[in-house]
Amino acid sequence: MLMPDNASPSPGTETTLVRAPGDLLAGVGEKSRSMLLEVGSMFWFVIHTIGETLDRMRRGRVPFRAASFFRYTERAGVGSVPLVAMVSFFLGLTMALLTGYQLERFGTERLVPGLVAISFTRELGPLLTGIMLAARIGASYTAELGTMQVSEEVEAIEAMGIGPLRFLVAPRLLALFALTPCLSVISSVAAIFASALISRAYFNIAFIYFQDLVLHSLLIRDIVTGVLKSFMFGLLIGAIACYRGLTVKGGAAGVGNATTSSVVTAITVVIGFDTLFNIVYIVFFP
Amino acid sequence: MSDAPQHIVELRDVQLAFAEKKVLNGISLKVEPLDRLVIMGQSGSGKSTILRLILGILQPNAGEIFFKQFEISRLQRRKLQQVRSRIGMVYQYSALLSSRNVRDNIALPLEELTRKTRAEIDKIVDEKLELVGMQESKNQMPSELSGGMRKRVSLARALVMDPELILFDEPSAGLDPVISSVIDELIISLTERSKVTSVIVTHEMDSAFRIATRMAMLYQGEVIADAEPERLKKSDNPVVQQFLSGSTEGPILEGSKDAVATK
Repeated sequence: MLMPDNASPSPGTETTLVRAPGDLLAGVGEKSRSMLLEVGSMFWFVIHTIGETLDRMRRGRVPFRAASFFRYTERAGVGSVPLVAMVSFFLGLTMALLTGYQLERFGTERLVPGLVAISFTRELGPLLTGIMLAARIGASYTAELGTMQVSEEVEAIEAMGIGPLRFLVAPRLLALFALTPCLSVISSVAAIFASALISRAYFNIAFIYFQDLVLHSLLIRDIVTGVLKSFMFGLLIGAIACYRGLTVKGGAAGVGNATTSSVVTAITVVIGFDTLFNIVYIVFFP
Repeated sequence: MSDAPQHIVELRDVQLAFAEKKVLNGISLKVEPLDRLVIMGQSGSGKSTILRLILGILQPNAGEIFFKQFEISRLQRRKLQQVRSRIGMVYQYSALLSSRNVRDNIALPLEELTRKTRAEIDKIVDEKLELVGMQESKNQMPSELSGGMRKRVSLARALVMDPELILFDEPSAGLDPVISSVIDELIISLTERSKVTSVIVTHEMDSAFRIATRMAMLYQGEVIADAEPERLKKSDNPVVQQFLSGSTEGPILEGSKDAVATK
């Protein structure tokens, strides 16, 4: 560490206090440096994947087999429907119930449908879907590619003259990119449906009236924003998961660490990106 | 490229270091057509590294590597991929794709790199499976196969593009002596029948002498011997002699941490 050679044999509080800020600063610097390097590598990872895929298409070949793409969409998309729908349904219930009781005091419980509808289509639907996909699909991509990397399968593919990015990464990335918006729509629908049930049961809002209230409050741009965001979330989760998987080092423990790191990074990045998106969106398109 | 060699593979003064640790210290090797060159050396001496250099998976720090007229380390990615499809590689632990069955594993290079129809691919796959005697296992998954069977499938996969060169990384590692002899004989018969050159990395002496038409010995990042098996046996280099006899007395263990265990 930064301990000088002539430091007193029993370092008192003074030395600790003097040393701490420097250490802290160095630590922060080190961390941000490695983070920036990672961001750079991930960016190039996506660029190379796209490049390899386009290169293949330019030669008049399909980049990957339709069957392999649909296997991933089935696993990532169709397989996630029950989980996404159920979690969103419960969250929709809770949200309608909690906001409803607060608003009831002011006699404005008819705002509940709009509130749930807007917050889910524009914000919570994509976010919730992103978090669940990071945990469910991101983890499985990382573990799968990591195991392939450790058992030399990836190298074998490369040695055959097949581009591993195009062959392994591109179909996974595209599957998540295409299916995340669909899942976030399902998430919003499930939550709105749940809030319709609550509104009917506790706040005497009939389904027809509920529908009117939702349609009245929801804007096209809320829906477009949510869908756009979902595309980006899908791309981010897929890129992080595949990158972490292909850069695994150190056997079984390495695969475990990479999987944890993939899920944590993906969730953090999804939430971070969401915040950034909202700020930019609100500043430039008020 | 004007002085492009006539050999199948040529390494010229190749150096490679991983983070301070020198692995290859300027080695030169030539592989002539139809050679079965066995590269011997201690574990961790950089034998497998040479195979990865030939495939262009690793880049040398200095020196040149040729596969026929192509200088591997200077090729564009696309050209490198084309060159790689002319080289077959059999990995130490077979490296079959665990999510695909035997047929799909062998068919993979054909599906991805050629425009052959499914019927044509099936025909070639059957042919190659027959060569290695694995027709019955066509629909099994790699996890259902024994180590020797996996190695055979891996060999069939390496042969499927009719390569000009096959690289073997420790073909008898983890196999019992009988199966390992079977694999050795398979290597000999297949390379002779298909007229293909091969480079084999191993530290199993019996296997090495069975297969080799030429042998090279790697020690401390340098090629210290390169000769026919018979001449190598008579070599008066103490390192070669110790390696061949497997004795603990000699220059190899001097100053090494492994020497402690022998005292």
